[in-house]
Amino acid sequence: MIEIKDLHKSYKMGSNSLHVLKGINFTVKAGELVAIMGSSGSGKSTLLNIIGILDGADSGDYTLDGVPIEDLTETKAAQYRNKFLGFVFQSFNLINYKTALENVALPLYYQKVGRKERQKKALNYLEKVGLKEWATHLPSELSGGQKQRVAIARAMAAEPKVLLADEPTGALDSKTSYEVMALIQQINDEGNTILVVTHEEDIAHMCKRIVHLKDGVIVEDKKVEQVRAEQYV
Amino acid sequence: MFDRDIWQEIFNTLKKNKLRTFLTGFSVGWAIFILVMLLASVNGMQNGFVGQFNDDATNSIFVRPGTTAKAYAGFEAGRRIQFENDDLEYIAKSFPKDVEYISARYYANATARYKSETGSYPIQAVHPDHQIIEKTLVIDGRYFNEADMVNKAKVAVIGRKVAEDLFKEENPIGSFVEVNDLPFKVIGIFTDEGDDNAERRIYAPISTYQRIYGNTNNINIIALTYNPTYDLAKALAFSGRLEELMKRRHKIAPNDQSGLSVWNYAEAFDDISSFTAVLKAIGIGVGFLILIAGIVGIGNIMVFTIKERTKEIGVRKAMGARPRQIVNLVLLESIFITSLSGFIGLMFAWIVLSLVGPAIETPAFSNPSVSGGTVVTATIILIVAGVLAGLIPAIKAANVKPIVALSDK
Repeated sequence: MIEIKDLHKSYKMGSNSLHVLKGINFTVKAGELVAIMGSSGSGKSTLLNIIGILDGADSGDYTLDGVPIEDLTETKAAQYRNKFLGFVFQSFNLINYKTALENVALPLYYQKVGRKERQKKALNYLEKVGLKEWATHLPSELSGGQKQRVAIARAMAAEPKVLLADEPTGALDSKTSYEVMALIQQINDEGNTILVVTHEEDIAHMCKRIVHLKDGVIVEDKKVEQVRAEQYV
Repeated sequence: MFDRDIWQEIFNTLKKNKLRTFLTGFSVGWAIFILVMLLASVNGMQNGFVGQFNDDATNSIFVRPGTTAKAYAGFEAGRRIQFENDDLEYIAKSFPKDVEYISARYYANATARYKSETGSYPIQAVHPDHQIIEKTLVIDGRYFNEADMVNKAKVAVIGRKVAEDLFKEENPIGSFVEVNDLPFKVIGIFTDEGDDNAERRIYAPISTYQRIYGNTNNINIIALTYNPTYDLAKALAFSGRLEELMKRRHKIAPNDQSGLSVWNYAEAFDDISSFTAVLKAIGIGVGFLILIAGIVGIGNIMVFTIKERTKEIGVRKAMGARPRQIVNLVLLESIFITSLSGFIGLMFAWIVLSLVGPAIETPAFSNPSVSGGTVVTATIILIVAGVLAGLIPAIKAANVKPIVALSDK
């Protein structure tokens, strides 16, 4: 699903440049649930940005579902993001004046799905995350865990190839974190490919594979015995 | 454009910042209000001026004798020029292609009496052509004709006010009114759209009047209309030739301005239209300058809004929003605020004008109003203004990097 070869990225900081990714080689197969770990400054966010087509690499190859990602215009990048990727953020990033349902329907709007169809699909996904009754509520009326579940429903609504979660439990207490992880595991069980960026060991161990980043290189890449999150809920 | 999603967003931003939206919109509304009021005022002035001249045919020329200021051809300065009947015929014969209608005027004041009612009225003894030159509207009876002229008939066409004063309820047509103790038959009553004073006048055939009161050939003024197909340049050329001819005939120095005057309406009209055109240009200019302040205000507020919504725009981009869609959103919002507030200003100006406008009726200013053209122009200006105001913020918004949304720090 994801193939990355010898990826380099540096940021210009005034006169000197900061080499953030120093030759990343990384492959993710369909249906995997991968945790990307590392301390801040390790380059994990930069890697996620590049995988999410939010940023470009300086050199190296990146192939997403067989499509080479290089030299994209803004419009093309937007199209690929819409088609291939779903995003879940630490701070949920729901649009606060739209109801839960409208938030979930947003990626479908950019896919040019008709209004009726959009609402039907969005309601479907809300039901999947157990928030059908909350469809008409605004984000301000939802708890943190509920917001993140709406965000996951939104990311899934576009039926992406890969779900990218950047610290999805970073703003949640441990009980809600496990609820969210249980949901992520359930989505993965259905065959979806998911990448989770986290710095929490217990969250990482709820994935099937852990990739450790340090100073811009992968220092460890191991398969782990998945800890099911349901047991903590 | 008619997407519910887009409108929901626009209304939401506006709702969230009511005061800010109001203040910004106010500047544009106010600018349009001033622009429309300025244009309407210029319009009112134009109406006033045109109304003043409405009295006469717009292609008329008046030739008035004066007193020479320069010695010329053996004559001393200070000679009074007197026109006579011959002058009229001479002009008509000299310019058969240029002259449309021509009439002399002989002024007199007279006491008119009918039964026990008397009054003093100005008499204008004229030719039948005068009806057209002066745009005299006969509302009852008829104007005098060539036959009356030849017969030197003692007939009179009286103004509406004269008829009211002397005849009260009676129908004056066919009755005899005594003008300086001589009976004149009333054959017509006229009205004048120019002013009330004109309706206190009495017209009589000039041939009759010249014979009865003084047995003279003298006339005071020659009034004529030129070929109506003439444009301004041709009209001015004609009055130039006319002046030259009359000065030669009366032995007045060509550069003597006071010997006689040829007054051409076209000239005055031209002056007025260029005057009002300049005023209009000034009005539009001032209005635009004020509008620019409004546009800058809206642009400023939009930049601010974009800054506030940076994260939201980033999320949208991560969800797959294309730059074009973001630009459209911002532009539409900007156009919406400008158009809405502009229209409110326009409506307000229109209400003020329709309330106050008809009440203003002075010689120099009458019925200030906005034409359909002004409204259409204002609308186009508003939409263009909206685009201009939104352009920079829109580009700014389109350049928002979605990474900004991802980096939660």
